Amino acid sequence: MNQSEIQDIIYQAIEMANNVREDDKQIPKGVDTALYTKDGHLDSMGLVGFLIDVEELFLDEDIQIALSDEKAMSQKNSPFKTVQTLTDYIETLL
Amino acid sequence: MTTDASSKTLLITGASKGLGKVIAEYYLDKGWSVFGCARSESQIEHDNYQHFQLDITSPEQVATLFKDIRKYTKHLNALINNAGIASMNAFALTPSHTFEKVFATNVHGTFLFCQKALGMLKRANSSCIINMTTVAVPLQLEGEAVYAASKSAVETLTQIIAKEYGVFNIRCNAIGPSPIQTNLIRSVPKDKIDKLIDHQAIKEMATPEDVTNLVDFFLSPASKMITGQIIYLGGISK
Repeated sequence: MNQSEIQDIIYQAIEMANNVREDDKQIPKGVDTALYTKDGHLDSMGLVGFLIDVEELFLDEDIQIALSDEKAMSQKNSPFKTVQTLTDYIETLL
Repeated sequence: MTTDASSKTLLITGASKGLGKVIAEYYLDKGWSVFGCARSESQIEHDNYQHFQLDITSPEQVATLFKDIRKYTKHLNALINNAGIASMNAFALTPSHTFEKVFATNVHGTFLFCQKALGMLKRANSSCIINMTTVAVPLQLEGEAVYAASKSAVETLTQIIAKEYGVFNIRCNAIGPSPIQTNLIRSVPKDKIDKLIDHQAIKEMATPEDVTNLVDFFLSPASKMITGQIIYLGGISK
């Protein structure tokens, strides 16, 4: 699976998140979109829900990855900062 | 078994006998698709029932179970953590391995299923977890220290999961049945059961239907504001 395919799945998860978010809280789809940073679109529980959706979408492709593990959550250099860092992180797991 | 996005789907542990079997059959009769699991084989024969044999304390086997369930459905409307083991012994005489076994099944099993089911429960848009506890917790029954302690842990998990999963529209509640004639209490002496029933506001042996009634209540869409609750049968409260 290449970066573009991984990003397609992340964008699907963003769409799922947007379905239940207010109009002014929509998450834009782009590689630089801030996910879990000081000014990111997700709070801690929002991130958990988002990562669960990403995991589920990968399971639909018969690919099992564990994103929401303690190690990743506590990494000093968080892999969840932006769509691009998440893409890079997922690529290392595949 | 065939399911689609509109199917009502339930996963229940400990489905091969006792209350688990009763609840599974009850929801099959109501038209749900039911996934059951247990260490032993199932005697349930139904087009909408799929049984899996596994050890619920094994993270690997539980992960495989969810992978297998995904072949039938992408969502779960309900998870009932019914599997449990009891232990009756004076605290001072309880072997360490009994503690490990009881906590592994009752606490770790519940933990694994609540965690692994999250994605599929979330996809149902509105779903419910029901954990099973016991009246031994509020009654602080002598001779059941380890069993009651394990179920205390289940109650705490239930209430904290209710808070954390609420944002995903997943409710989490627990049922504490008063004595029912199931395999779990088959070896409990009659005088002990009588004494236990005497603690109840309603001094009767409960029936499996009393439990399915409460399950119905928790699973009802009308109970959308009910989460983090522990309900004991027979009028017992903390």
